[in-house]
Amino acid sequence: MKISVSWLRRYVEITEDPRDLANDLTMFGLNVEGVHALAPEFRGVVFGKVLEVKRHPKADRLTMCTVDVGGARPLNVVCGASNVRAGLGIPVALDGAVLAGGAKIKRSKIRGEVSEGMICSEIELGVGDDAAGIMELDFEEKPGTSLDGKLGETSYVFDVEVTPNRPDLLSHVGIAREVAALYRRELRLPELFPLEAGDAFNVTIENGRDCPRYAAVLVDDVVVGPSPPWMQRLLTSVGMRPINNIVDATNFVLMELGQPLHAFDHDRLSKDAIVVRRAKEGETITTLDGTLRELEPGILVIADGERPVAIAGVMGGMDAEVSEATTRILIESAMFDPKLVRRARQRFKLDTEASYRFEREGDVGIMLEAASRAARLIADMRAGSPLARCTDAIHEARSLEPRSIRLRTAQVNRLMGTALDAADVAALLDRLGLPSRPTGEGLEVSVPTVRRDLREEIDLVEEAARVYGYEKIGLDEATHSSMFASASASERRSTGITSYLVSRGFAEVITSSFMDPGDLERMGWDASDERSRPLRVANPLTENQSTLRTSLLPGLLGVVKRNAPSECEEIRIFELGKIFIPAAAGSGLPREEHHLAGLVARSAAPLQWLEKERRADFFDMKGELESLLEQLGFSSGLTMSASRERSGRIFRWHAGSVRIAEGGVVAEGTLERFDVDSPIFFFDLNLDAVPVESMGWPRFSPVSPYPAVKRDLCIVVSEKVAYTEVRGVIMRNAKFLDSIRLFDYYRGGHLGEGKRSYTFRLNFRSADGTLDGVAVDREVQRILGALQRELQATLRTE
Amino acid sequence: MNERPEPSRVSEIGEQAARAFAEAGDLEALDRERVRFLGRKGEITVLLRSIGTLAPEERPRFGDLVNELKARIEELFESRRLALVAETAEADLYAGDPTLPGRRLTAGGHHVLHRTAAEIKEIFFGMGYSLAEGPDVELDYYNFEALNFPPDHPSRDLQDTFYINQDILLRTHTSPVQVRYMEKHAPPLRIIAPGRVYRNESPDPSHSAEFLQIEGLYVDRAVSLGDLKSDVLFFIRAFFGPTAKVRFRPHFFPFTEPSAEFDMSCFACRGAGCAVCGKTGWIEIMGAGMVHPHVFRYAGYDPDAYTGFAFGMGIDRIAMLKYGIDDIRRLLSNDLRFLRQFWTERKADVLR
Repeated sequence: MKISVSWLRRYVEITEDPRDLANDLTMFGLNVEGVHALAPEFRGVVFGKVLEVKRHPKADRLTMCTVDVGGARPLNVVCGASNVRAGLGIPVALDGAVLAGGAKIKRSKIRGEVSEGMICSEIELGVGDDAAGIMELDFEEKPGTSLDGKLGETSYVFDVEVTPNRPDLLSHVGIAREVAALYRRELRLPELFPLEAGDAFNVTIENGRDCPRYAAVLVDDVVVGPSPPWMQRLLTSVGMRPINNIVDATNFVLMELGQPLHAFDHDRLSKDAIVVRRAKEGETITTLDGTLRELEPGILVIADGERPVAIAGVMGGMDAEVSEATTRILIESAMFDPKLVRRARQRFKLDTEASYRFEREGDVGIMLEAASRAARLIADMRAGSPLARCTDAIHEARSLEPRSIRLRTAQVNRLMGTALDAADVAALLDRLGLPSRPTGEGLEVSVPTVRRDLREEIDLVEEAARVYGYEKIGLDEATHSSMFASASASERRSTGITSYLVSRGFAEVITSSFMDPGDLERMGWDASDERSRPLRVANPLTENQSTLRTSLLPGLLGVVKRNAPSECEEIRIFELGKIFIPAAAGSGLPREEHHLAGLVARSAAPLQWLEKERRADFFDMKGELESLLEQLGFSSGLTMSASRERSGRIFRWHAGSVRIAEGGVVAEGTLERFDVDSPIFFFDLNLDAVPVESMGWPRFSPVSPYPAVKRDLCIVVSEKVAYTEVRGVIMRNAKFLDSIRLFDYYRGGHLGEGKRSYTFRLNFRSADGTLDGVAVDREVQRILGALQRELQATLRTE
Repeated sequence: MNERPEPSRVSEIGEQAARAFAEAGDLEALDRERVRFLGRKGEITVLLRSIGTLAPEERPRFGDLVNELKARIEELFESRRLALVAETAEADLYAGDPTLPGRRLTAGGHHVLHRTAAEIKEIFFGMGYSLAEGPDVELDYYNFEALNFPPDHPSRDLQDTFYINQDILLRTHTSPVQVRYMEKHAPPLRIIAPGRVYRNESPDPSHSAEFLQIEGLYVDRAVSLGDLKSDVLFFIRAFFGPTAKVRFRPHFFPFTEPSAEFDMSCFACRGAGCAVCGKTGWIEIMGAGMVHPHVFRYAGYDPDAYTGFAFGMGIDRIAMLKYGIDDIRRLLSNDLRFLRQFWTERKADVLR
């Protein structure tokens, strides 16, 4: 909200520099987010000296002046002011000058006489309110000296952040009240028009809960015209557009006291009545913005004897709008149920200054004051004659009484970390206009209607704390109890595996939790796959962010596309994040799973002089996945299954019946649909399938002091026999096998159709002594015998 | 052949060998010279054989001379051989040019947001905070109601929300973890809860529909605003450097009271006022406050028995401030050229 410092000065003395004031208010709890300096805006105006004044030959009220503006010859200027006289120092707008409000000055003829500029009044320059005559400068300058930026005072406007709990700060008087409390100064409230509460006008309130209070003031002899310049200037400075004296008066009160008012053209209200009621089915209203709106019973309206004339607290209707022809007005000053105003505002998407305040539940005690303040302004402007007798319908008289709250001194000290006594606390609250009396445990505080946000003890603690000053609150470290902590096991595990991948050249990425529903088709997942049924967002930003991801893979494919081959030759990326699988019944929270997914693509390693360039392949991915699984405790015991699916050649790793990971080659079609250039090899690990609690610590086992004996074996088998089977047979039939490593693989060629060979390096070792050649030979023979028996394998000899 | 051996001849051969070894450019040439002097038919052997031509009383002295010579030549040979071996090995090691680039793996690195989160977590772990977690898809109850945001209240407008349905939404902050954690644990407790949060806002340089936040909560019998200030101050100085100036001012959040915001002196202008800080000299770092009694009641704690503080900050914002990143949208852009910038350290710290 915009707050003008000059406006504030009407209610409280301010001697501080505006920037200091802004800082002090911020530290007091009213965040001033911006300070704007507004200098009077005119340009092309110079100091002039009136040399001679003559009568205008054709107009009695005009004079012809000769003015020295420093040029070769004086200018001839026609002037209408009565205070112009020879010898006066005056501001002269030259040909081409621009005045406050944007008026351009041009050389022209006035009633037949040439005028080469204009002698300006305060109002024309926007530096004061005097419109009666030209501005008489009380200083001397060389004629012709520019006065741009030298006349008038710079005014300051603050952008303040008013939080939803403080509707009382949505006005200049409200903020002046804070300034007064902050600097311990007196608050001067604006002048009111004396009113007599009665029933001058027929107001019917259908339901007191919808409208706790409704005051109405009548104004006769209305003359609609422009409002005075000072009012226009203040309204403009806080971003409001001046309209006419009546509307401006109500807007002025809105910005002054925070109470939204509405002026109806009284003579256009049918049957001389105001009814506050719910709209009826089928009723409509054309609001002041010119839109025809259909109403419904959930909407609170102000109606006359026949039809709605305003949406309560949101916007008035055109039917009873104040116009040039208006002669009698009714000023409404009311309070409505904030929830109803909120509903209407949301329903019609109509954010107005009024709805903003009504939603925040203003001060129920201020209705009459606000109406009377508007009456005062209208009377002072001679825009009409307010009637003293008015209407003030109050649903519950009790609602105007102050609220009483008990405050325990001990609680204040406990929360603030201070050692104040009851009198100290009372003094702090008193500055905010919250009187109190001592009780056994502390204070009984009386809260006026303007601070209805203060409901309970804790609210008063906050008030006491901010008046005391947050900056003064000490650093009381002694009260800290000893608590110790460290990273949790799952945090350590996540850090461990992501650091492993990082050290292996993977870039960590973070992709959106949102998924494009179109990605389901692009991925090519089966309809039966649970990933094909994502959770939908009811109000998404865009359709392609309308579901929550069921897999990290679409996001990772997006990253590959995002990083063109020209920018990034090797792609090794991973993400550790959550996926969302809707709850089975379709209600309740979804299952959130932590996954670690990654992929490799394009070059396997950086292009460099020592290495041949190599494209990433399936085994690059598989190697990393195997290492990750090993780190998660699966050095063995996983089964791998393969399947050919629309989304690609997919392999899955299970521990028993639990799927731990999947990985494979993304289908050609999927790559095309994602517009990705190169083959992609991915893995996707469900971390939640391996609970941290299930993981044990490594256990020590003795290291054999005896040397290993190395043997290389080249085994030929049918290509129907998988590597893991060969390896399994070897492992099962060896007694002293210490390690096994495949270091060559060959198929077809001279081996013949349907054959392949595996070359292993086997290390044998005993914990009990050095193995001799005979023992190792026996071991190898046993292995070969088993391979021959179980897999029809043969030993390959060159 | 039966020349009479002279002592002068002995020193002559010594000099010849020294010259020959020094001139041998490689191990092969050196070996040829070794054979010439130390071989079975080499100079030393010849000298030893000629000993017979001497008078018997001269023989022992001459023999000693030749043996000395032999030892010297062997020594010369060995030192030259070692020098040549080293030279050859070095040439192999460097491929002749030690300035050639070394063999490299692809570079990898953590995402800047997780790097930032890790730095933050580490500081809080040291302060005795442990880690808690909550779901991204959350019940309205935990996200708003139990945090004292009444239904249909303007305070809900502070956070634009993505809804799944009437009761389920994408959490708008990490604060729901507070009530979830308190429901399951008795005080005293001290946790941080990092996680992803969502706001239904059109993205611009300082707004993103999803970002990371970190929540802190400390509840015990007599936790005060002073404790809050001390913990947050310690964190900010640990994270941004010991000279960071911090301002602590009143604010409003529905779920804390008294509420506060912490500002840090602007790193760009050092408090003078610039475009980065909106000319105020201060940058908002986090929201905080004392846990509201209503929140305690929702969690089943007695507000007269316990007090506590909570704080929350945007990890994206903190990362932007610390690393000088100009647009929040870059953080989820996954442009590797951007991400790589945060994989290595800088030598000089700009934050002083």
